[in-house]
Amino acid sequence: MMDSSKNPPAEEGQLRPGLWQTVNERYPGSMIHKADYVPLARLSKPLSESKLTFVSTAGVQPKGTMPFDVVHPVGDYSFRYVPSDAKISELEIHQLKYPTDGATRDLNVIFPIKRLQELAAEGVLGGLTKNFFSFIGYNMDPERLERTLAEDIAEAVVLQKSDLALLSPA
Amino acid sequence: MQRAIERRGIPSVSISVALDVTEHVKPPRAIFVPFMMGHHFGVPFHIELQRRVILAALEHLVKAEQSGEIVRLPVTWAQARREGIAIEQALGMRK
Repeated sequence: MMDSSKNPPAEEGQLRPGLWQTVNERYPGSMIHKADYVPLARLSKPLSESKLTFVSTAGVQPKGTMPFDVVHPVGDYSFRYVPSDAKISELEIHQLKYPTDGATRDLNVIFPIKRLQELAAEGVLGGLTKNFFSFIGYNMDPERLERTLAEDIAEAVVLQKSDLALLSPA
Repeated sequence: MQRAIERRGIPSVSISVALDVTEHVKPPRAIFVPFMMGHHFGVPFHIELQRRVILAALEHLVKAEQSGEIVRLPVTWAQARREGIAIEQALGMRK
C-alpha cells in the first residue's frame, strides 16, 4: 500500500478561506457547513470478505432509465440504481456541472465500475452489492437533499447488505 | 449523505477533489486528490492510477482512527496527465 500524507495543520487547510462565504452570499443556503463529526463505524470483517457499494453524484445511469433533470432550477433529488455488473457500454451520463472529457473516453475516471469489478474478482474485495447508486450533484437545496435523498440512499445502501461504502461526489 | 450512511453503521470513505467543500461538510473519512472536477480517479486508460485512488480510499477506510480525517494522496494532476498521455501513445490512441 502507498504512503499517504496526513492532514496538514488547520492553518494550512483551505487554499482560499474566504471563498465559501462568497458562494453562500450569492446563493444563500446552497452550501452546507457542519460543526460536528459523525462517530466512525467499523468494518466488521476483512476487506476480502466485505461487500462494497459505490455511491456517485456523477449522473451516470443505465441507458433507458429516466434521465436526470439537469435543468431543474433547484436540482433533481431522485437516484438511479446502477447494476454493479453493468458494462460501461450500457451506461450514460446526464449532468451539466463537471467536465466530462475524461469520462466520455473512459468512464472509470469518474465511475470506476470496471476497476471495482476487477478488485472483487481478484479477491481484494469480498464482493460488490447488486446495485450501485447514482444521482446528480446539482442540488441547490442541501437541507432538502439531507432530509430526503441522503436518507433514501442510506436506507437503500443498508438494504443492499453493504459492508462498506465508497462515495464519489463529482 | 456519507454521514447518513455512517450513522447506520456502515463505514464509508469519499474521494474529494474540493478540499474546502470537504472541510465544511465533514464526512467521516475522505481522501483528497488534486485532480480536475469529474476526474476523481485520474485520467483515461490509466488503470494503475485508478486502482491506486480506490486502494488508498480503502486503506483509509480500514485505518482511520478519527472521524473527519482527510488523507492527501501524494499525486499531482500534471503528473497524472503526463502519464495518461504516455499510456495513450503506447496504446496507439494518440500521436
